[in-house]
Amino acid sequence: MSQKKIRQQFADTMLEVGQSDPDLVVLIGDISHFILQPFAKICPGRFYNIGICEPTIVGMAAGLARVGFYPVVHTIAPFIIERSFEQIKLDFCYQNLPGNLITVGSAFDYSNLGCTHHCYDDFALLKSLPNTQIIYPASSAEFDILFRQTYRNESLTLFRIPENQHEYPIDPSAIQFGKAIKIEEGKDITIISTGPQLGNAVKARGRLLIDGWDTELIYVHTVHPLDMPLIRQSAEKTRKVLVVEEHNRFGGMGHDVLQGIYDVRGLQFASLAIDSFVHEYGSYEELCSGLGLSVDGIMRAVKSNFKK
Amino acid sequence: MNNDLRRKIIDMVVKGRDGHIPSAFSIVDIIAVLYGECLKYNPEKPDWPERDYFILSKGHGCLALYVVMERYGFLSRKDMDLFCKPGGILGEHPDCTQIPGIEASTGSLGHGFSFAVGIALGLRIRNKQNRVYVLVGDGECHEGTIWEAANVANNLQLGNLCVIVDWNGSGAQLMPRDDLPAKWKAFGWNTVFIDGHSEEQIKSALMDVRFCANGIPNVIIAKTVKGKGVQMLEGHGTWHHRIPNEEEYKIIMESLS
Repeated sequence: MSQKKIRQQFADTMLEVGQSDPDLVVLIGDISHFILQPFAKICPGRFYNIGICEPTIVGMAAGLARVGFYPVVHTIAPFIIERSFEQIKLDFCYQNLPGNLITVGSAFDYSNLGCTHHCYDDFALLKSLPNTQIIYPASSAEFDILFRQTYRNESLTLFRIPENQHEYPIDPSAIQFGKAIKIEEGKDITIISTGPQLGNAVKARGRLLIDGWDTELIYVHTVHPLDMPLIRQSAEKTRKVLVVEEHNRFGGMGHDVLQGIYDVRGLQFASLAIDSFVHEYGSYEELCSGLGLSVDGIMRAVKSNFKK
Repeated sequence: MNNDLRRKIIDMVVKGRDGHIPSAFSIVDIIAVLYGECLKYNPEKPDWPERDYFILSKGHGCLALYVVMERYGFLSRKDMDLFCKPGGILGEHPDCTQIPGIEASTGSLGHGFSFAVGIALGLRIRNKQNRVYVLVGDGECHEGTIWEAANVANNLQLGNLCVIVDWNGSGAQLMPRDDLPAKWKAFGWNTVFIDGHSEEQIKSALMDVRFCANGIPNVIIAKTVKGKGVQMLEGHGTWHHRIPNEEEYKIIMESLS
């Protein structure tokens, strides 16, 4: 089945939302220019391909928010989140201004472009600031639903658009901002995944079942604020928790999960995450495999870190 | 000129035990004319939708802004007395979440200009006639974002925007090739050069700005003296961020009497 790319969904959602909301303005840093042309035509004066100057784009977006717009800034993840971090911190968060940062190329989606185009610190950086939200929609439907639910609230929201989707069918009515989704019930171990890694977690669950592990699967599309009640409930049941995420171990979802469940009696915990620069080249799947962010990696992590 | 405002700045620094006196003295004459002759505002309604916007991008010069805002009713005597004190709203950089009439929280250089470009663009999208003024420092012009924003504003033809550059020579201490008028002209801006301590020239330059929705943006390069008004404070020495002692206070106040 050929799925619509999430980036195309982003453009389609801008077109639909922009027609009904005159406060939506889109600023881009010279990517996705062509797919956003329908929005540019239907919503004249509200689409700007500013150029290669990301800190200025973010600062301008905050200025637009100051006069009542709900701006969308879109370009490659490291150039918004890392290069322009001070603009995010001071121009948006310090001044309590709302807006939306929509990135592509997070983690190592641009696998062969090397570390200059990777970004595995975005959760940590955004979480360190007040008035932020982080959404990691790993299907087109999730992007569309979660954008409409949140883009006009009073926070700065990061939408981390992955190149790959998890391809697991989720009932659209279950997609609610701030709510994690229990994909499968289990009693022996909880695997919490975010982003496309849900696909690997689902496949790993099947293999683990053969080996006698009844796995509870939780999927997180809203990384911040994290749905700790659901996660804690599961941790108290299984007392074994594995987190799988395409993010730096420091400041990632694993840190937040552990902070929320550290006092669960008899807890065993591990996480699959990124520990340093990813210098390797290859496809996204090959880099995932090398980092253990794969079905085999999950199997190894379960067997080497947890005792029944 | 504006010795009364300069004396207030000195008193605030002495009471608050902090502040950038010379940076404020180099821009206080410009800000006094802006608020006295040029900007549209309502201190009773700081968010009045028809107001003009002024952003002090070189936030460390804020004492000059505070004393002018007090003169025109945005701030009270009590606010001024609590400069850099617990419970006060005035710090060494302006905070728009606390101070009525402050449009942007600035301090880290190179932010306020891009922010102002966003405001100018937003006003144009809404077909509003409000004007947007932003004051940047010449040292601040070392920041890359200044030139990113200058480039963007010209390409967007934000004719509702006027930049004032406080050319007090700070930047030239490190980068002496600082022909700022040539640089701004090269970025395509309507460029005017004035004496930033001449009330007549400041007023004339501000009144002559050709604002429009779509057109070349405007920059006024104001040649100023850091610490202007008190010989002891002038220039780029230790006074950048220093509090006068009792004896120095007397000398300064006598110079401003």
